Amino acid sequence: MADRDDQPTVLVVEDEHALVELYVRWLENDYTVLTAGGGEEALEQFDERIDVVLLDRLMPGMSGDEVLEKLRKQVSNCKVAMVTAVEPDFDVISMGFDDYLTKPVEREELLETIQRLLSRTQFDDIEQELYALSSKQAALRSSKPIEELEENEEFRELQRRIEELRTRLNATLPDMDDDEFVAMVRDIEGDTDGTDTDVSGGSK
Amino acid sequence: MSYRVDGFENAISFDDGVSLLMNGTSNTTTPRLLDAITPEDDEQAVVITTNTGAETIVNELERRGAVREQIGIIDCTNTDSEIEGVPVRNLKSPGDLTGISLEFAKLFHDKHSDDPIRARIGFASVSTALMYTELRTIFRFLHVFTARIRSGNMFGVFSLDPTMHDEKAHNTIRAVFDCEAKVNESEVKVTGTGFQQQGVL
Repeated sequence: MADRDDQPTVLVVEDEHALVELYVRWLENDYTVLTAGGGEEALEQFDERIDVVLLDRLMPGMSGDEVLEKLRKQVSNCKVAMVTAVEPDFDVISMGFDDYLTKPVEREELLETIQRLLSRTQFDDIEQELYALSSKQAALRSSKPIEELEENEEFRELQRRIEELRTRLNATLPDMDDDEFVAMVRDIEGDTDGTDTDVSGGSK
Repeated sequence: MSYRVDGFENAISFDDGVSLLMNGTSNTTTPRLLDAITPEDDEQAVVITTNTGAETIVNELERRGAVREQIGIIDCTNTDSEIEGVPVRNLKSPGDLTGISLEFAKLFHDKHSDDPIRARIGFASVSTALMYTELRTIFRFLHVFTARIRSGNMFGVFSLDPTMHDEKAHNTIRAVFDCEAKVNESEVKVTGTGFQQQGVL
């Protein structure tokens, strides 16, 4: 499949060939789609280009849970949607995936889930920029009186930019639900743990 | 719709989905935070506490007119508190942000209402949480939390003691919120966006 730069990349991990074909057909118009028939193959395929992984939980050989654990050890902001046979509860959400789909997966549901996961990545990206600018603003505020700063064109530009990012951030996940909230907070803490134990960072 | 508040200098109500940062020492902000999140008849209140015991919080909210069915507590003070008629979730540390989000989700999940829930959320205090985690982590957490408050049309009130942090950390945290209040012994003055002032309709 052609790798088009302007499209997000989705990796489909599923052992049933018929399902792989189905998912690919649903996704290939909007995304660059990679496929893997099992856990080992998924880990081989996995790299920084991948934005979303659609991961079947029950596969012969390496299970979805094992794949997930290994994926999480690699530094990446990719999102993982687990495909399960039964609906998990909150505690399962805290196990490490970002969203789940229950079989049989329907087209609309799949497209919507992937779109939401990409919005989450977008939220993270905007937030990261907002942090950088807010830190800069905070440093300036601590160094000079606000009256003086407000006369400064550069500071005003910084404030405008922060306002703009805030507006975009607010519009990115307007209907965030509780599962999403929990998964996002878990990702934040996961990243923090990663910086303590994993030295392969620096990609962010 | 909006959330009415009493006892603020210049704000009489906050718009749905807004989060307010209250700046001041915890002695002065905690009572004001509780004033602001005391639920009206059709509302719920959830308090995440890192510095005040669950029992005190419940008593204080009751004194302000709330009934127990309206209250939920996430107690991060590492004391196992149980209060009749109030769901209290105990966490070991104010730094357990995933735990806070999970318990928060469960509290609302358990209420199981078909109507959208009107809720006021209190977080006292951000300063304590900041002693247990990095500024970067708290900043991200607060963004996600305030986004959840916005999507649920709730009202969030977070307190912070500026004297406990360097000025830069304080100024960075401020950037997350729609509006902020300066709290001292005699008054609470709100600046920013997302609130209505007296006499302005």
